[in-house]
Amino acid sequence: MNYLSEHQVLIQDTLNRILEDLCQKQTVDAAENGEFPSALWEALSETGLTLTGLPEEHGGSGGDLSDALIVMKGAGKFSAPIPIAENFLGRVLCCEFGLSAPKGIATFCDNFFSITPDGQLRGSSSQTAFGRWSETVVLIAEHGDETYLCACPFEVFELNEKNNMAGEPRDMLSVETKLTSDQFVQADGVARRARLLGAALRVAQMSGALESILEMSVSYSMERSQFGKPISKFQAIQQQLATMAGEVAASIRAAQSIEISKDLMIELDVAIAKARVGEAVGVCTDIAHQVHGAMGYTLEHTLNHRTRRLWAWRDEYGSEKEWQIEIGRFFSGNASGNLWDQITLLA
Amino acid sequence: MFQGLAFNPFTLPPEAEALRADVRKFLADSLDPTSLPNSDFNAGDSSEFSKALGKRGWIGMTWPKQYGGQDKSFLERYVVTEELLAAGAPVGCHWIADRQTGPLLLKFGTEEQRKEFLPKIASGNCYFSIGMSEPNTGSDLASIKSMAKKVEGGWLLNGSKIWTSYAHTNHFMVALVRTELASENRHAGMSQVIVDLQDKNVTVSGIKNLSGEEDFNQVFFDDVFIPDDRVVGQPGNGWEQVISELGYERSGPERFLSAFRVLVEYSKELAEGASDDQYSILGRLTAHLITLRRMSISVAGMLESGETPITEAALIKDVGNAYERLVPEVVRLSQTRNPSARFLDTLSQCILHAPSFTLRGGTREILKGVIARGLGLR
Repeated sequence: MNYLSEHQVLIQDTLNRILEDLCQKQTVDAAENGEFPSALWEALSETGLTLTGLPEEHGGSGGDLSDALIVMKGAGKFSAPIPIAENFLGRVLCCEFGLSAPKGIATFCDNFFSITPDGQLRGSSSQTAFGRWSETVVLIAEHGDETYLCACPFEVFELNEKNNMAGEPRDMLSVETKLTSDQFVQADGVARRARLLGAALRVAQMSGALESILEMSVSYSMERSQFGKPISKFQAIQQQLATMAGEVAASIRAAQSIEISKDLMIELDVAIAKARVGEAVGVCTDIAHQVHGAMGYTLEHTLNHRTRRLWAWRDEYGSEKEWQIEIGRFFSGNASGNLWDQITLLA
Repeated sequence: MFQGLAFNPFTLPPEAEALRADVRKFLADSLDPTSLPNSDFNAGDSSEFSKALGKRGWIGMTWPKQYGGQDKSFLERYVVTEELLAAGAPVGCHWIADRQTGPLLLKFGTEEQRKEFLPKIASGNCYFSIGMSEPNTGSDLASIKSMAKKVEGGWLLNGSKIWTSYAHTNHFMVALVRTELASENRHAGMSQVIVDLQDKNVTVSGIKNLSGEEDFNQVFFDDVFIPDDRVVGQPGNGWEQVISELGYERSGPERFLSAFRVLVEYSKELAEGASDDQYSILGRLTAHLITLRRMSISVAGMLESGETPITEAALIKDVGNAYERLVPEVVRLSQTRNPSARFLDTLSQCILHAPSFTLRGGTREILKGVIARGLGLR
């Protein structure tokens, strides 16, 4: 039983082939040392996978958000050290709120800037994902109660390179510039939309990474021998891996709920998935590292690429607690003693 | 990805969803609003309720019409089951007969047995207990000692079963017993027999659980005569039958809804406004529940299409039972300033029943072993 369409299976297969080829451990290591994985990005661009889920009339490859999420899951599974999610997010926001398609690689900056109605932009961000590798920085700026979406050329920013705990670029960008009228647009609701989409993308990436660390942990337990037998034969290890399998399966299912949301923004599905998957990360990374022993605590083993990203991603676009509060407010507000009725409305 | 870990999205069909409103109306009419509902399937029983449910055709609903069933799908049954549990309806009387005995007789029973028992079960008038565990046999089921010896026209049963829910009120027990002495193949020589719990040679002795209820028992057999026509399936085939009984019945809503009434009462407590911490706890527990329900419905879809999702079912029970244990533990730490008596009673009832959640129907440790097998570790 496969819930993916034929077209989506094709996306998945093409993506996996490219990642297996061009996203080896050394690619991820090199990226952490500052080297943009251009071969990987170019291969994905050539096949249109960097633009999956974006409308063709906006320079995209077509398809919808659920197609894009399949790409994100695959990228997460391989720790692809590229702005695949951020490029999508910046572009889809421009498309939805009426800016023209960004030039080159886009990123999205999850901080608020200030702007005047005539385009005077100022402010700074503490952690713009892949800022240094982008050509266009998409960001949100405010003027009083008004919210604007801006697409700014990278050159206008002052760059201070920083990394998150996964070694992914999370740059400080400062700006004081005058934007031209085609570079910004008033965009009511864009902040909420960006938060939801951002959370949805991170959920997909995390579900891929979780699947990967389960596979790694199971294989490692079968290879590693202690006391004369593979450690997979010890009940203590089996029980740990079984616990992890449950958390991974729940995470994958929670992520799928976003994929099948037709207009995608069934906001509750995103909230549930970010909360559920975020919670699973703690349990699963704990077990994965325990099973891998000291080897998994080194940079030599590729486990760290997955786990460090999981720890970074669970806090981006809202930690589990932030989304739990939102879910709790929804159900206590709407339920009025009928919690179950509300729950069964969700497919 | 591993086999057995895929819970692909599945949506309940319209005919199943259509039942929901009927069941809710029935429950609103038949449940006493002043009573304290409990979503633990083992925590309430009412023969009156079971008979009313039978009248509506909601017991044995997947069975053929000729045996008193309704020829409905597993998915329709799923909706009825989850509605009953969510409302905390007293399902204890008919629960096992509907869920296990009926399917067992349909699969392995004789035509006479089906005709004799199934219509009575479906009408809510005949209740069964499970006879598996013994005083020295819990998870290691093959170590049972109860023994039935062949005599003229039947078998003579001696031994004992334990943790038998509702044996003091139910009519019959399906017991797994030895019909041959244990041999090298420890799974051989076992049979399932129907024991009349009213038999004068059967003694039922109540055991008080943590909350002081005597809902489970030890049952003693002292030369109990089992007629040949009360053996289910082939003598000696008991192990195989029991395993098929246990296999898929691990994925239903009863595996994650046992603590649900705590969540309901908690959401009511928060209705007048609450702190972010309190909202986050309601949100966290609801996110878990919705995800589990989606996984469980996915397995119901697999069962309906004839698949055998053994690992998936074990996984739902394991994750679901852990969730049931989690609910009271986090809710108790973020109560409101003036909790209602109803909330407090529901919470303490749940805490007192909670240890059973990860024991019954396969302990946490046994389930993790099943999952580990699915991962290829054993």
